[in-house]
Amino acid sequence: MPSSQNPSIAGLALDPTGVRPDLGDAEVLRVGPSEIHATLTALRAGGCTMLLDIGGVDYLGREPRYDVVYHLLALPAAAADVKTVGRPRRVRVLVGVPDAEPVLPSAIDLWPSANWAEREIFDFFGIRFTGHPNLKRIQMPEDWSGHPLRKDYPLRGPAKEATPRPAFALKSNVPAGAPPAGKVAAALQRQIARARGQEPPKPAGDEA
Amino acid sequence: MEMRQGEFLLGKLDDVARWAQSSSVWPLTMGLACCAIEMMSATNATFDIARFGSEVFRPSPRQADLMIVSGRVAQKMAPIIKRLYDQMADPKWVISMGACASSGGVFDNYAIVQGVDTVIPVDVYVPGCPPTPDGLLYALNLIQQQIRQGGRGGILAKV
Repeated sequence: MPSSQNPSIAGLALDPTGVRPDLGDAEVLRVGPSEIHATLTALRAGGCTMLLDIGGVDYLGREPRYDVVYHLLALPAAAADVKTVGRPRRVRVLVGVPDAEPVLPSAIDLWPSANWAEREIFDFFGIRFTGHPNLKRIQMPEDWSGHPLRKDYPLRGPAKEATPRPAFALKSNVPAGAPPAGKVAAALQRQIARARGQEPPKPAGDEA
Repeated sequence: MEMRQGEFLLGKLDDVARWAQSSSVWPLTMGLACCAIEMMSATNATFDIARFGSEVFRPSPRQADLMIVSGRVAQKMAPIIKRLYDQMADPKWVISMGACASSGGVFDNYAIVQGVDTVIPVDVYVPGCPPTPDGLLYALNLIQQQIRQGGRGGILAKV
């Protein structure tokens, strides 16, 4: 059932996770910012001893705007040979973060390896982590302003994007945040239709 | 040429000093991106930068004569490059290796400096993405030529 944490498929192109077929590579959970820390604590107690990475995604135009993704791995407690280990259990936890209040509780108390990953998310998306001991930029220079991986961040930086490019240097004149158009949009619509189990719309001019 | 005891050569001090200096241009050990791979292979047996006396990559800028900017320069890296350049003792030279170091290349974005010559002076630009080791060797030859002709930064250059 669609909710703020389980965005409806009507958000379509802006949220590929809503239409992507299940890869079956991991258990996928979607929780809200208020219950994320309890969920992670339970997973940690349940054997997910390793935090592989924390990722961030900006779905501009969707509510909640951001997704923060925790990739967890359950390593076997005792040393075992290759046969008994099999495939380790993987868990992917998605949490939607609203643009109005981009704040999440830090996971450092559970996995110290969350430290740099959370700093990176803060640096690139401006999502703050409460309880983080050293929440400052990690990739961009410390005096940088803005969060470059937000979709509405100008590609060439705020100052330079205002100046027009010379005609010979039209590398990417699509304005930041513009919805996909043309062939890209058509391909996306076909992909969405396939994922929904519908007949994909025929490409235009393909009737004959 | 064999020289027996008692024989000697006459030459201008200028020429001798420039010959010595141009035959021992020591680069700074500094690789920024994929161009650095080509820079490293220039030191290997196939291309053998030692033929031109530049095989001694120095880990300290105090001992280096040549900075090879081998790759794209991030905004965060630019002040560090400037600092390394300032720490190098005069005379010193800079090769801007590849499209990214020379102009930003394909990375026309917020993170990359659009040409290292906005930060430090550059003597020779090497085109390519990445340039071949031969291209880098040619750039080194140009710098040697410049030194032998008493060009910029030469040991006895007229300022």
